[in-house]
Amino acid sequence: MKRAIALFCLAHAAAQAPDFRNVAEQAGLTTPIPNGGSASKQFILETTGSGVAFLDYDNDGLADIFVASGPGSPSRMYHNEGGGKFRDVSQSLGFTREGWAQGVCAGDYDNDGYTDLFVTYWGQNALYRNVGGKRFEDVTAKLHLTQDRVRYNTGCAFLDYDNDGKLDLFVANYLKFDFNTTPKPGANPYCFYRGIAVNCGPRGLPFERNILYHNEGGIFRDVSAESGVSRPDGHYSLGVLTGDFNGDGLTDIYVASDQTPSILYINQGNGKFVDEAMMRGAALDDNGKALSGMGVAAADYLHEGMPSIFRTNFSDELETLYRNLGKGEFQDVSVDSGMGRNTRFVGWGCGFFDFDNDGWPDLLLVNGHAFPEVDRLKIDIHYRERAILYRNDHGKFVDISESAGPGILERHSSRGLAFADYDNDGLVEALVNNQNEPPSLLRLGSRPSNHWIELTLEGVKANRSAIGARVRITAGGFSQTAEVRSGGGYLSQSDLRLHFGLGTAAQVDKVEITWPGGAKQVETALAADRIVRIRER
Amino acid sequence: MRAIKLLPFAAALLFAQPNPVADGIAAFHRGDYQAARTDLERAPNDPQARLFLALTRAATGGCEAALPELTRGFAAGDNRRLAGLALAQCYVGAKRFAEAGAVVAQLEKLFPADADVLYVSADYHMKAWNDAIYRMYQKAPSSYRVDQLSAEVFETQGKYTEAVAEYRKAIEKNPKAINLHYRLGRALLQQSHDPAVLAQARKEFEAELALNPSDAVAEYQVGQILTAEQKKTEAAPHFERAAQLRPDFPEALVAVAKLRMEARRYPEAIALLERAVKLQPRNETAHYNLMMAYRNAGRAGDAEREKAELDRLQKPPEGEFTEFLKRLGDKK
Repeated sequence: MKRAIALFCLAHAAAQAPDFRNVAEQAGLTTPIPNGGSASKQFILETTGSGVAFLDYDNDGLADIFVASGPGSPSRMYHNEGGGKFRDVSQSLGFTREGWAQGVCAGDYDNDGYTDLFVTYWGQNALYRNVGGKRFEDVTAKLHLTQDRVRYNTGCAFLDYDNDGKLDLFVANYLKFDFNTTPKPGANPYCFYRGIAVNCGPRGLPFERNILYHNEGGIFRDVSAESGVSRPDGHYSLGVLTGDFNGDGLTDIYVASDQTPSILYINQGNGKFVDEAMMRGAALDDNGKALSGMGVAAADYLHEGMPSIFRTNFSDELETLYRNLGKGEFQDVSVDSGMGRNTRFVGWGCGFFDFDNDGWPDLLLVNGHAFPEVDRLKIDIHYRERAILYRNDHGKFVDISESAGPGILERHSSRGLAFADYDNDGLVEALVNNQNEPPSLLRLGSRPSNHWIELTLEGVKANRSAIGARVRITAGGFSQTAEVRSGGGYLSQSDLRLHFGLGTAAQVDKVEITWPGGAKQVETALAADRIVRIRER
Repeated sequence: MRAIKLLPFAAALLFAQPNPVADGIAAFHRGDYQAARTDLERAPNDPQARLFLALTRAATGGCEAALPELTRGFAAGDNRRLAGLALAQCYVGAKRFAEAGAVVAQLEKLFPADADVLYVSADYHMKAWNDAIYRMYQKAPSSYRVDQLSAEVFETQGKYTEAVAEYRKAIEKNPKAINLHYRLGRALLQQSHDPAVLAQARKEFEAELALNPSDAVAEYQVGQILTAEQKKTEAAPHFERAAQLRPDFPEALVAVAKLRMEARRYPEAIALLERAVKLQPRNETAHYNLMMAYRNAGRAGDAEREKAELDRLQKPPEGEFTEFLKRLGDKK
């Protein structure tokens, strides 16, 4: 009965429509981020765009912003000045490199208390060591992360796959691309879209393999072959999502793959991974078709204690929601859960966030077609598109995009998406990387009345960023679970703090933390509406 | 001795004698039809010369005179392929499509993978199709079939808005014609991604069913749309009925199997899916769902076998990437 009343209150509190606004300009995010052509794109490299990150690099308690960029501008770091303002500090912090930046992920790989940053490129990746929150040092070569040839690196994530307290690194690879050998638009049947010549691929271009680096304390060692990570062949890998999907205490890796089956690397616990996506029901849609996976996110959207997986796909495809049935077996529930209708969008960035703090993680995805040329067709598929916001109504997703405010309806060709409560007011904001435009910063214009709590976890035996820690909170008669993650979405990094909406509950009765390695910790009776730091005991 | 000495010279002279048949054939093959004609006409008693002369005439617009010899050449001999190709093209040129069709059919039987034969076949079909359309537009311009055909052409061109308009015109002219509502419903689904279109399309499939209650495909489409509209309970009887109407309809069998799986009636689902893969061994949807049904039923070995089959079906065509891999020097 108590549960029923609590749920009724939550539902009631969630009824008002949100009014998301793009406050990027007021916040100081005014510089366009170049990424290939805007009217046409000659090569696939121009289409995949770049990620964004929220990370608190100087430990001042305010999430800062990193925006990865294509050639024409360095990737940019913006310091959160407070009061909703950001200042470009790229030059002074050491971010001067230009190139085809793709993905970004964060984690304190050296456990010095400052969050480091990894940026993937078509070309050499970059590991930026955070030096006391004052500057970033490129330690790629020093830490043996230089690659022996040009690779098309995409999504990435720090993870501690062997629970040794040191963050390892996974890097997805899209395909083999070379400006000189890749065919031009219209050159072969893989270079057309609805009868118009467009950039070629991914079909017709050679596959590439994914990479796993083990943190040996001082250097990283490529363990792709011995771990089995390089074994799956025939995938075009983009978005990366880590998590303990089968509940065995070990971090697994899901990789959204374009036009090929997605990968679910199940951690075998002996340094090995095996792709079990197909048999576990997370590789294809429920028609057995490989879709064009781009971004990927996870949440316990049904309060079942297990992470389900959401993936964005191409136009004329449905988005995919794989419900975790337990023990890491999945079922495609996209249509049943309310997602059967948005088929004109090419989806990229995605993420669950409880925008109205009602205790049910909602879902935002940002869109934009791969081919600017599509606008010539004068159909209902466009290069620049609005976002989609689904409200989680007790496990059913309701598309509220049209009534969710002007920020959701703005049209951009968007790629990366990340989340953080950057002003520490208990509401989560969204940062979007738009091709050849300034980023969007989506913030609610009015405040829901629900309660919330945010948790900053600090590992001691576990890695200091607590990446891989699983948290279950109980408040208002029901429980929610979440996990601290590096990377995720589409090539992006959300704030490492965990945010929970609490509905009408003014207190969290219990917080149960499972640290990487399996240590358990319980905190009780935490007052709501604040940010709580929890250190591993 | 002298005679012996002269022998090689005489042999050389002998070999240097002009051979009008060989020269004519060579000229024909290099496209020098004037020279071919001159040479081949010098050997009127040679059957090969007569055939290549006919081929030369056919290639230069003299089909009528060439037909008897081409017909003989196509009936037997070493040059049936060439004679048949020319014969078919002559008939197509003369709009004698029935005769052209017979020759093309025989050519395809004799040389099934020959690019020239397939080209001539495509050319014949295209011209025959154009001719039939022309006659329809001439003789029955206000028929609903004209609108239907226009709609189908627009569909193949991806112009769905125009196709929808033409189908509507055809329906207005003949509201009881079978298949028009179905085609309209399908074009509507292709035309727009707007969820509102689902309801319009469903109305058309239902109209088709009103005309032809035994149309399993229309029944299935109604079920699909109801599923997309999240009306699964309403969709179920449509899938069941589609499978009853046509027990050899793999998509309907898969849809019903999915219903059984949701109800955890795995043995029934498996039986349906096994039937579907038997009917259509390359149907990936059926194999995938069979794999999942085996998995859910705890039949791990069978699920693995289905996975292997699915992996095989989903493998990209051999050689697709070979050229690029070679160029990048990283062929596995």
